[in-house]
Amino acid sequence: MNYKIRAELAVFEKMPDQAKISHEELERDGFCQNPFFECLVAEVSDEHRSKDGHTVVGYGLYYYTYSTWKGRSVYLEDLYVMPEFRGNGIGKGLMCKVAKVTAEKQCVRLQLAVLDWNSPARDFYAAKGAQDLTDSEGWHFIRFDGLSLDNLVKDAPKD
Amino acid sequence: MEFTIRAANVDDCKDIERMIMELAECEKAIDEVKITKRDLEQDGFSKNPFFHGIIVEVPERHKTKEGHTKVGYALYFFSYSSFKGRAVFMEDLYVMPEFRGKGIGKALMSKVAQLGLAAGCQQLNFTVLDWNKPSLDFYFSQGCTDITAEKGYHYMCCKGEALEHLAQP
Repeated sequence: MNYKIRAELAVFEKMPDQAKISHEELERDGFCQNPFFECLVAEVSDEHRSKDGHTVVGYGLYYYTYSTWKGRSVYLEDLYVMPEFRGNGIGKGLMCKVAKVTAEKQCVRLQLAVLDWNSPARDFYAAKGAQDLTDSEGWHFIRFDGLSLDNLVKDAPKD
Repeated sequence: MEFTIRAANVDDCKDIERMIMELAECEKAIDEVKITKRDLEQDGFSKNPFFHGIIVEVPERHKTKEGHTKVGYALYFFSYSSFKGRAVFMEDLYVMPEFRGKGIGKALMSKVAQLGLAAGCQQLNFTVLDWNKPSLDFYFSQGCTDITAEKGYHYMCCKGEALEHLAQP
């Protein structure tokens, strides 16, 4: 995967210091025997390459999840198109491909998260028929990481 | 109270299905459940499982009035953050009402965290309904962060006709 693309998404989401993954980790975790994710990339022909010379200009990173109510699902973790290539239907094309994979793998839902201030993204997903389950049903994302995760593990029962 | 936690196996699917229905009832969404025992067997115990489970068992002398010794479960799967790497998502955490207040829920969550860390995960993530105050209080007492409240992430879902429409170019 193109390292430059992932770093740009982090800047856009206003958290550049949050991006800690190296391309070696991406290679290990996405292309091992039991991959943690799958990824689609959008490529343009050489004549349309970016001003920095890149022909891989967008990506969609997703993985399989499970709902004990509905069954197999797909979670779209990242959807990104380099700014100079937007407005050409690439984002829509990537989402369409992920939706096709969802159907091929007999998954019933495609889920994702979007930041509440990201109006262009929210409008894009709403136009595609996505429901905002935080607004409509009150679902919140909760996380344990770093010290809180270590503390939680300390209390795990011994086998 | 004495209890043990172990990895779920295919024979646990009947009890997992029972407890899924009990949990759905707690979340006022019993009509939403479309999963069957067969789905759980196929999706959790095939070559590339969609989920993993852990089960809580109590000794015979503590069984419920209906005779159940499997009294809680957690269901999780591995996910990925392109910022932080491997993560674990806890889809369900459930303890039967008569066995609550004994540290079983905490033990289940700790076990999922331990299994996640062992697999190289940096985060344990899950969702909770904003009106579910007992659960929110429990999770916050364990030191978690509400990513929706703090950072503004909204949970979006595309299904049914919208999903079919999306798959068309």
